[in-house]
This record gives sequence, structure tokens and C-alpha cells, in this order.
Amino acid sequence: MDNQDLMRSARFRKEREADWRRLEGLVLQAEGKGLQRMDFADTRDLASLYRQATTSLAIAREISLDKALLGYLEALTARAYLCVYAPQERVGGLVERFFTVSAPQAMRRSWPYILLGFVCMALGALTGYLLYFENNDWFYVFTPSGLGGGRGPDATTDSLRSVIYGGSEKSGFGAFATYLFSHNTRIAIFVFGLGVFACAPAILLTFYNGLILGAFLALHVDRGLGVDLAGWLSIHGVTEISAICIACGGGLQLGMAVLFPGDRSRSDALHHAGRDAVKLALVAALMLVAAAFLEAFARQMVQDLTARFVIGWGVGALWLAWFVFGGRRRR
Amino acid sequence: MIPRLMIPRFRRKKKDRPSPDILMPPEGVALTLPVAGVGVRLAAQITDVLITTIAAICLLVLLSALNLTTPRTIFAIGALLFFVIRVPYYVIAELGWNGQTLGKRLMKIKVVSHDGGPLTAHALVLRNLMKEAEIFLPATLLLTLDTATPFASIASLAWITMGLMVPILNRYRRRLGDIMAGTHVIHLPVPVLLKDLAAETPVVTEDRKKITFLSHQLDHYGAFELQTLETLLRAQGQRPTAGAEQQRQATIETIVEKIRKKIGYADPVPPADRLRFLQAFYNAQREHLEQRQLFGDRRENKHYAQSDEENRAGN
Repeated sequence: MDNQDLMRSARFRKEREADWRRLEGLVLQAEGKGLQRMDFADTRDLASLYRQATTSLAIAREISLDKALLGYLEALTARAYLCVYAPQERVGGLVERFFTVSAPQAMRRSWPYILLGFVCMALGALTGYLLYFENNDWFYVFTPSGLGGGRGPDATTDSLRSVIYGGSEKSGFGAFATYLFSHNTRIAIFVFGLGVFACAPAILLTFYNGLILGAFLALHVDRGLGVDLAGWLSIHGVTEISAICIACGGGLQLGMAVLFPGDRSRSDALHHAGRDAVKLALVAALMLVAAAFLEAFARQMVQDLTARFVIGWGVGALWLAWFVFGGRRRR
Repeated sequence: MIPRLMIPRFRRKKKDRPSPDILMPPEGVALTLPVAGVGVRLAAQITDVLITTIAAICLLVLLSALNLTTPRTIFAIGALLFFVIRVPYYVIAELGWNGQTLGKRLMKIKVVSHDGGPLTAHALVLRNLMKEAEIFLPATLLLTLDTATPFASIASLAWITMGLMVPILNRYRRRLGDIMAGTHVIHLPVPVLLKDLAAETPVVTEDRKKITFLSHQLDHYGAFELQTLETLLRAQGQRPTAGAEQQRQATIETIVEKIRKKIGYADPVPPADRLRFLQAFYNAQREHLEQRQLFGDRRENKHYAQSDEENRAGN
């Protein structure tokens, strides 16, 4: 049929159809092998043809009633949009940026929340400590039966000492895995996840964990083993308990966004708070893995009290140095 | 008086919200990308879980063949392996395949940025990490807990229920991770370009006269009827089964007669010319409607005259 005989919308389509077909081919190519591996000319054409297709779609919606054409253009433009606005970053770059820049910056930005996490834990520990000296039976109230491993006010001082300075049959990879999914990791996960539901569960759980810690400490101080327990706990506990407090900080940040969204909508506020909170959760997870490592390998190998203190607090200082000095721009 | 005023206002507010299927890219031309439902996403999720579980089991068998595990620690190591494989799998798959994991590719669904902007790597990492906190970790805890710790069991159960309620309760079917990352999941559209009916060469033989329509004959129908006719004409291209042929002829006859009566087309249409008549009517009607549309007279369907009056009365 001659071009002049066609109606306006059919002419419109005929003039542009070749470009749309080419765009369709480029979209398939981009979806198949990825933008990174395409030729420069093809990628450039993809972007410009995509913009032409959006224009065509806008015009077609005004001038054409051909359902097939509208459906095709709509789908084609959508597919091209998805290709053009695909994520451009590689995984390697992302990981590097997390460690060098974004994680320490997020930690510094959310220091009030993390401080709040530490305060919850410390208050819990203080309460647990004082309550134990008031009445020994509080220990049983706080501590789940499995956690103490037979340690309690009824145990003899010698048996307490043997746990602190004794070898364990568990070590190596299996122990690492066991410790990683132990009590403290669960607490950290819950503390972070439950923070979304209005802060309170996160604060309560952190406080409760502090109670256990305080009661435990009081039990050993009572028997004159305070310093020994501190060493036994320090080697992994500095990292592990900090991880719980940081997870609590992340959870609190999310909870605050839900409770006090300010001028934003709640989901918008969550979206903003999530940026830092997730980095906090990642840092906490990393620290928990490191703590499980220390607990599984270093705690059994290092029996000397001073060495335990040095390793535990040294690792803690390294974390702190990362948070304080990482990701600062050089002037 | 007050309730009668309030009710329509409330209704209009609900109606005025944009459809969740519409996404506005930076170019400013709205695209229709239907939101994927909970069912199809669950199916994709199950596929992915199966894939990662199989990988974890293979590794676990390998480890026990190398005597690296003991029966006491095998569960902890299994959980660790599942975790270590799962977390990077989702993030790397969605980064590499532009918002699709294997399960999502199978189900032809995809993650898009909620505000229509570019999909960032940060958003993909965030939504997949939140998946851990939202679904997997409470599920794992639920499996490992026992009756001795009822509080933790109830807590994780409540957590999972809340996590599942979030996507059901919002229009975009976003889970918490989607809300935080600013994404939602859509069905991937498939572009298929059918031939233009108006550009086809009608079979005009010498002995037959050309079918023409007058302008007032084309004022009876709107876009909806036109596009229904388009669907019907496109279906004529397919080969019918033997029994259906007679039924099809009957349908076409009814439609032709109905159109003739409605528009007042006096000449009778012989059976051989029926399809040609419909084709010619489609072309003429489309040209007419498109022209009216260019002049700002958009006719959605055959009731366009009434709805015009309503609008005028409303204003």
C-alpha cells in the first residue's frame, strides 16, 4: 500500500518500526549478556533509542488507537527502561566501599543509638550484679538453664575455676559453627529485627542480656574469681557484647523511624533509617563471626590471664580504630 | 447534608490514587508494569531456597566425606553452610541479572526501583539482607527452638507472621526489606509487535465496489468498541478447527448485521464480503476516532456523549 494512502497513525508506525525492532534486539542483547559486555556503539544506541521509544509511546497514546501498537510500545519501553536503569556497580567495588568508607561513616553517624545500646546493656549488668548480692536466687531467674553449663550459686569454686581454665572437647570448625549460632547471636538478631516494632523489644532484650551478664559476673566475684572471669569473657566478649549493643543501636534506629517519622511518611522514614541501620547490622554480624572465631580457637589455646586480656581488648581497640578513623576524607 | 457530602469525597480520594501498576521513569512517560503478587513471589522464593539448599547439602556431604564434621556439630555446620551460600547468592544474582534471581527468572518477575529511578546496588543489597532478618533467621530459630523456651518460640512466630502481613497489607506487595530499600517486584512485560491491521492491503477485486462510510455513520462507536473489533479481526488470521468454522461465520454475520443496523448502512452485505466490510469499517472508524482525538475529543466507548454531559454537569 502506498504511504500516502495510509492513515496518520499507520504512517507514524511505519516510519519508526525499524528503530523499535533494533531497540528490541539491543534490549535482548543487554538482558542476555549484560551492559558491561556490549559494544560502545550498541550501548549508546540503546540509551538514545530508549529515549526515542518513550517519545513514540507518548505520541502513540495521543494519536493512535491501535491496541497492538500501544501494547507493544509499552512493553518495549518498559523492558528498555529496565535495561538502561540497571545497577551499574560491581560486587567487588561494593564490598570495598563498605569496608573503607560507608561502614565506619554509618557507625559515626549513628553514635547516639549505639551509645543507647551500650547504656541499656550496662544498666542491665549493674542491676543484675546488685540483685545477685541481694539474693543469690535471682541468678536462677535470669539465666536460662542451658546457658550456664552447670555454673550457678550451687557450684563449687573449683568447678567454676575449671571451666574458666579448662580445655574443652569442642574446638575447631565444628565449635566455630556451634558458637556462631549460640545464644548471643540469636539475641543480636532478635534485638535488631525486633527494633522495627517500636524499639521496646530491642531495649528489653538488651537489658535482659545485661542482667545475665551482671549476675554471672557477681557469682564469680563472690567466689573471688572476678578477674579470672573477666579475662575469660574479654577474649571474645569484648567483640561479642559490643556486637549486641551495635545491633541494638541499629534496631533502635529503625524503631525510632517508625515511632517518630517527623515530616516524612513512616515507610519513607524507614527507608532513610534503613541506610545506616543495615550497615550497623552488617558490622554486628561481622563482629559476631569474629567473636565466634575467637571463642572457638583463641579461648582454648590461650590460657594465660594477661594474654587473654591483651587479645580481647586489643581486638576491641582495633574495631574502635576502624570505626573512628575509617572513611575520613584526607584534606 | 454533611454525610452526603462526605461520602463521595471519601470515595473520590480512594479512586484518585494512582494505580500501583504504573511506574514513572525519569523520562516522564508513565509505564505500566503490573505488580507481582504474593503467590508468584513465594514460588520464586521456594525455587531459590531449593537451589541453595541443594548446594548446601552437596557441600555438607563433601565435608563429611573428608571427615571434617562430627555428628554432634553437623547441624550447626549445615546451617552455617546454608547461610554462607544463601546470602551472597541472592545479592550477586540480583546484581548480575539486574534484579532477578534464578527463581525470579523462572517466574518472569523482576525487582524495580519504587520511585522509577535507577535500581541501585545499595537497594539490592539492603532488600536481600532484610530478607535474612525478616524470613530466614526467625524461620531457622523456629526450627531450632523447643518447648523449653516458649517466649522465644512465640516471639519468632509473631515475627514471621508480622513479616508476612506487611506485603499482604500494602498495595505494592512490598515486604519490609522492599520498603527500606525503596523497591517493589513486577511482572516482566513481553513486547510482541503484531501487524498493523490498517496497513494491510485489502483484497480488492475489480468487480467489487469499494466500501465507504459517511462521517455521521462513524459517530456511534468509541475506542473500546474499535479495539474489540480489532481483537476479533486479529483472531481471523488463525486457522479454526472444523467445527468452529460454522460458529465463527454465524458470529461474524451477527456482528455485521448489528453494525449495519446501528450506523444505518443501507446496502446489504453479501456473505463473501462480510470480513471485507468489517475490515473497511475498522479502518474508517479508526481514522475517524483518531482524528477526533487529535482535536481533543477523546471517545472512550459508545457512551461518550453521556459521559460528556455528566462532566459538564459536574463542573
